[in-house]
Amino acid sequence: MLKKLKQSKTKIITVLFSLLLASFILVLITCVVTHTTLPALISSILSEEIQFAIKLSLTTAVVSTVMCIGISIPAAYALARYDFFGKSVVNTILDAPLALPPLVAGVGLLILFGTTSFGKSLADAGLTFVFTPLGIIIAQFFVNVPFMFRILRGTFQSINPRYEHVAETLGCTEAQAFWRVTLPMSKNGLLAGSIITWSKGIGEFGAALMVAGATRMKTETLPISLYLNMSCGELNLAIAAATILIIISLISLFVFERYGGFTRVF
Amino acid sequence: MIRIENLSKDLGEFFLRDVSLEINDGEYFMVLGPTGAGKTILLETIAGIYRADSGRIFLDEQDITDIPPRERNIGMVYQDYTLFPFLTVEDNIGFGLKSRKVSKREIKRRVDELANLMAVFHLLHRYPGTLSGGEQQRIAIARALIMEPKVLLLDEPLSALDTQTAERLRQELKNVHSIMNTAIIHVTHSFEEAFLLGSRMAVMDKGEIVQVGTPNEVFRKPESEFAAEFLGVGNLFQGESRVDNDIASIDVGGINIVSATLKPGSVHVSIRPEDILVSTKQIVSSARNSFKGKITTIVDAGTILRIAVDIGIGIDIPFIVAITKQSFDEMNLKTGGEVYITFKASAVHVF
Repeated sequence: MLKKLKQSKTKIITVLFSLLLASFILVLITCVVTHTTLPALISSILSEEIQFAIKLSLTTAVVSTVMCIGISIPAAYALARYDFFGKSVVNTILDAPLALPPLVAGVGLLILFGTTSFGKSLADAGLTFVFTPLGIIIAQFFVNVPFMFRILRGTFQSINPRYEHVAETLGCTEAQAFWRVTLPMSKNGLLAGSIITWSKGIGEFGAALMVAGATRMKTETLPISLYLNMSCGELNLAIAAATILIIISLISLFVFERYGGFTRVF
Repeated sequence: MIRIENLSKDLGEFFLRDVSLEINDGEYFMVLGPTGAGKTILLETIAGIYRADSGRIFLDEQDITDIPPRERNIGMVYQDYTLFPFLTVEDNIGFGLKSRKVSKREIKRRVDELANLMAVFHLLHRYPGTLSGGEQQRIAIARALIMEPKVLLLDEPLSALDTQTAERLRQELKNVHSIMNTAIIHVTHSFEEAFLLGSRMAVMDKGEIVQVGTPNEVFRKPESEFAAEFLGVGNLFQGESRVDNDIASIDVGGINIVSATLKPGSVHVSIRPEDILVSTKQIVSSARNSFKGKITTIVDAGTILRIAVDIGIGIDIPFIVAITKQSFDEMNLKTGGEVYITFKASAVHVF
């Protein structure tokens, strides 16, 4: 009897903690969304500045996600399938941006593209990254590529190489076997990776701020807009940006849980 | 004809060592060996999935050692089917012809043909994930056969299936082989399969070929202790079974062996050496099989001894009996000594 009572006590306390945490999150989100009136929120969302921020955020995130996919597919495949000298070192380095504070990553990108001859020759060729939307894209790419990479590496590892072997005996080259068999079998991982990379791209602030700066109507993504409008007291615009970010995160989370539940990110 | 010369491949855990084999056109060739013998890697090296470390492979006198799998025209079927889960059965079977850029109409015609042959026509629009193991394996075989391969490699194709399904598919493999006339290299760890399907077979252990011959030769005269052990050797007979009153009496050439397995007609019979009791006097027991014979050889294999007992009339090969060292010493058995061997009807395995 006593033991049973003890058990239920533990249950009550732990459940209380989980409820406390959940309500903290809920209260926080509600605070943001209900800070202004609905008409004010709608007119702010429709304002030219927020419209610009939405478009810039969406496009930069789409472009950086495509870049993440393009680079991660071959890289993740190599590390999932082949053994080569320095493989574990490469694995560790590829994970590093996960642990790096985005601000530090931003400083690094700024120095690389702003001060080195490599950056300068790119700028001469018309690819200016410093204080431009291109800078936002490269910042999002750098910070988020490990997510895509890790999900895809896990996905490829989970696919038995025998599928490719069979495809090769059925007339495929190695590349065709990958394209016709492994890639379709990685569909869920690709989708999950894209969603998480894209939604993290939308929310990217620190690194983008360092490389691209915070110029109104030029490098003003949703997070930058939130930051700028908060700083100068335009609360309605700031809340509008924040609300849209919340909506995007929730949708992404839902899609990710639905399709990517099996992949481990960390 | 496929000729393998001194093939070696080291993948760490699995390896091949100096494997030489010749498989004739249209032959059903079995490779028998325990888990980890290197059977799968042998097939994968023949298929070209792994490049040989040394040695050469010839297909119809053409050296194929260094050409990629897609140019070898060798089909491969794995134990776990490896059907492409995102494609319908129809697209799975047609996969290889699509690689060859065959016209859609021709693909459809050939897929229908193969689906009929493998009795999976009614499944063409289903996805592999919803099918039984037997159905999936038949589709995998159809997918390989549609390429009209010169050699078909089967990697334990029946091992993942339940006994009944495996038996049916085994029969179908035999039929398909006689229809298609493709050379087949079939890897297994089941000596029953090897015996029933193979026209010739090889025994493999630790990456090496231990023995090659017809199943009869290999079972009758295992050339290594390993082969003998692996085959659970001795006591394999061919005979005619008559079923009467819930008991089968099998004439194996002079003597009748009684079995609890009621399978009439031409059968194979095996009795494990451990299941046979040896005694110096005739013993009264419920066991239905008892014969008098002479000890011809005694082989000391550590704690177990293998004794060959010749029961004379009819059977030209001796029974092999395994007994412990202790009982051997107690009975004071000697070569040439007279003994009785006894075994139960239920110990007689019929297939």
